[in-house]
Amino acid sequence: MSAAAEETKAEAGAPLLQADGVSIQFGGLKALTDFNLSVRQGDLQGLIGPNGAGKSTAFNVLTGVYQPTQGEVRVGGQRVNGWLPHQINHLGLARTFQNIRLFRALTALDNVKVACRAQGALHPEGVGLGAKMKGAFINYRDWWRALLLTPRFQQEERELTQQAEHLLEVMGLSHRRDEEARNLPYGEQRRLEIARALGTQPKVLLLDEPAAGMNTREKADLMVLIRKLRDDFKLGVLVIEHDMKLVMGICECITVLDHGETIARGAPAQVRSDRKVIEAYLGDSYLESHGGAA
Amino acid sequence: MAQLLQHLINGLAAGTIYALVALGYTMVYGVLKLINFAHGDVMMVGVYMGYATAFALGRDMRSSLLGVAVVFAVAMLGCALLGFLIERFAYRPLREKPRLTALITAIGISFALSYGFQLDLGFLPGAAPRAFPEVIEPVEWLVIGDRDVVVWNWQVISFGIAVALMVGLQYLVFRTRFGRAMRAVSWDHRVAALMGIPTDRVIALTFMLSSALAAGAGLLYAIKDTSVSPLMGLYVGLKAFVAAVIGGIGHVPGAVVGGLVLGLVEEFVVGYAASTWRDAVAFGFLILVLLVKPGGLFGRVAAEKV
Amino acid sequence: METPAIPAPEARSAVPASLRGLLPVLLALPVLALFQGLMSDAPFASYLLSVVGVNIILAVSLNIVNGMTGQFSIGHAGFMAVGAYISGVLSLNFKDVALSFLPVAVSDQVFFVVSLLVGGLAAALCGFLVGLPSLRLRGDYLAIVTLGFGEIIRVVVQNTDAFGRALGLSGIPQTSSPAMVYFFVFLTVLVARRITGSSHGRSLWAIREDEVAAEAMGVDTTGYKVRAFVISSFFAGIAGALFAHFVPIINPGSFTFVKSMEIVVMVVLGGLGSTTGAIVAATFLTLLPEGMRSLFTLLGAEGSLAQKVDQIRMPVYGLLLVALMLARPQGLFGTKEIWDVLPRWIPRKRRGLA
Repeated sequence: MSAAAEETKAEAGAPLLQADGVSIQFGGLKALTDFNLSVRQGDLQGLIGPNGAGKSTAFNVLTGVYQPTQGEVRVGGQRVNGWLPHQINHLGLARTFQNIRLFRALTALDNVKVACRAQGALHPEGVGLGAKMKGAFINYRDWWRALLLTPRFQQEERELTQQAEHLLEVMGLSHRRDEEARNLPYGEQRRLEIARALGTQPKVLLLDEPAAGMNTREKADLMVLIRKLRDDFKLGVLVIEHDMKLVMGICECITVLDHGETIARGAPAQVRSDRKVIEAYLGDSYLESHGGAA
Repeated sequence: MAQLLQHLINGLAAGTIYALVALGYTMVYGVLKLINFAHGDVMMVGVYMGYATAFALGRDMRSSLLGVAVVFAVAMLGCALLGFLIERFAYRPLREKPRLTALITAIGISFALSYGFQLDLGFLPGAAPRAFPEVIEPVEWLVIGDRDVVVWNWQVISFGIAVALMVGLQYLVFRTRFGRAMRAVSWDHRVAALMGIPTDRVIALTFMLSSALAAGAGLLYAIKDTSVSPLMGLYVGLKAFVAAVIGGIGHVPGAVVGGLVLGLVEEFVVGYAASTWRDAVAFGFLILVLLVKPGGLFGRVAAEKV
Repeated sequence: METPAIPAPEARSAVPASLRGLLPVLLALPVLALFQGLMSDAPFASYLLSVVGVNIILAVSLNIVNGMTGQFSIGHAGFMAVGAYISGVLSLNFKDVALSFLPVAVSDQVFFVVSLLVGGLAAALCGFLVGLPSLRLRGDYLAIVTLGFGEIIRVVVQNTDAFGRALGLSGIPQTSSPAMVYFFVFLTVLVARRITGSSHGRSLWAIREDEVAAEAMGVDTTGYKVRAFVISSFFAGIAGALFAHFVPIINPGSFTFVKSMEIVVMVVLGGLGSTTGAIVAATFLTLLPEGMRSLFTLLGAEGSLAQKVDQIRMPVYGLLLVALMLARPQGLFGTKEIWDVLPRWIPRKRRGLA
């Protein structure tokens, strides 16, 4: 672990993202039961489990796409049950999607600019009437600036562009700046999604199978990159991943879900040796291929 | 009290007709997730087919039981064919395209039909409403008090036909092989195709079925109104669509309930408030229902898979 | 996150930043004045051009909702009606009032512009009310709500004495002029283009592309949809108000579902999301029937043939929609603008948005 990471780890205080006893039910189906989680700055955690274990559901509850039936989610100490996804995003939680959801007809640059724009400064924190009024005022002032093409607006637009270009560069996508997102190769689309998520200036980044569909080499690169992002942007990162080796390799703490229940949690070595995990998730094939890792 | 009863009867009679047309919207929406905007206009075409048949049969023939049957049969079969053609040539090529594309197409067809029928081309009847022949001669079926409440025979007959059609449909959807295939396609037409269900055929049959139902309903409506016009499809269709949405689109019994509710609401507004507000009622009610219960009375809003 | 120091503004514009906002307006005014001078002796051309202009405003404003934001409104004529009736009633009531310190003609124009703006604002308010359900409805449901709204407006007008019921309003002062119409055409297009080029426009496009992702990236999707509706209906209201001031009579028949569909056809033909496409399609679809009618009249055909043009228009629109969807669903220009599809030798603007 780099020195920077050690440092950020040391100053990490209260959890930035916290789930307390979160359950969600769809009709009769319990998709997630008593899910607990706490992500701090500098964390790099993994969330694994077999297909249909509730990993993506967990992401959707954390980001406000679904509402928990029970329990509560806190982002930056703020209880966010009942909040809309964009409001939760403004508190500093950003995500990528398992099935890439870019703005396909927009250029790579514009994809990131959408995210850069929609962040905090425009939307004062808080949910009271005062904050709402202030938000509305800022918003309308902003519309007028855009319509009148004021110097301030032009300046902001340039800053946005630079921010977005910077993020594209970080993700190694500068050469795709003006290309439509749908024309990017698969791996680059995944990276663009991360760039876009970073554009919202998150404190916690949720990555939903960021390495899916990549080859081994690309995966290795990506993992290095994720670590670097965590350090450079002072993030807490939570990764859903299918590739066991990969998760084991980079995550310091892993949560294992099966049928919506948390069956294990801990350091990779600990999880790897957990009987329940091996039975429920890794199964025989893993034991075979790794010569009985337990 | 008697007045209330009369409105109740009229409302139910109108409601069953809305319900029948609404069933067509709901079935098509069920299998294709498409609001078949042209449904009402297909209905209108069916009514004109019935109109032409009734005239061809002549005055004596058309009010006999056989004559009525022929009128209905021609209209329903003709519409089934029309529905088939529309599906085959307009909707099928767009099935994998964005939903908006099909919706726009449907609106286009609706337009082409409802305004095409207004053209003065000789073989078409033109824009003016025509009197629909009395295929069912009006008889007072039941009179209560000093004509406080009157139930006409056509109300009973249309109620009967509508109920029979609905029961038949319910049987078809839930008790037959075709119904099962239809429900499978409605669940996920790609998966259904992989399971060996002839998706194209099921969808085509659904269109034919819904169009035939619409023709039947349209004739009942024309008999009730004693008139037929090229724009009737647009208005009856829209209201029936409202009924389908109120019940929860895609939900078969919901469409029936929605139709009845709409029929009653309209009747009461016309009866107790002002008839000129009639056309606004359906939409006002729709917006109200959608705001309170976005999925309609019985439907549920499916959470989008993320 | 730290961003590097901001370098000097791009050098490609010779215009100072503080002027760029206002410049197009300053350039447009003399052009419009000249245009007005040319038009003053040609009543039919004035009328025709005004109709084209109103339709351009309608199509471009509808494109903000249907094209940029990816919603589907089919009740645009309802907003137009609100603008037309509100401003019409205002103008009727203030017909004989003049500001004493101004020449009568100028005073009339002042009242006219005020009534236009009031009409636009009333329509915008309705747009806000219709946009609100988009909070909970998507796609086709929203389409039905807008359609329902249009119908409700029509019924309300038919039942209100102040709006002349089914007979409509006549005697509204004819204070409109092609120059005024095209000033608002210009304003609408300018606003549409500037929205596209701003972060607000990008947020709208994001909603069109993927609502869930937009929301996850912090875009207040509901808020933006409502704002798109408000802006779009404001200009529809302006269009209606302009219309009310150059036609002899407005009645509920001018703002039916048919009119809404006409505008939808224009937007779809031009390409959902293309402002210039909407302009081209609106111009074409307005002039075509007029041209055919004039042609038939010119050729000395009986009146019936000229009338048929009007009759045939609607079914043709319908078939046109179907044919478009089957053959070229993206319309003329797709989401591009005209300068993106012009031949190579014409200098192009760099594309910011797709």
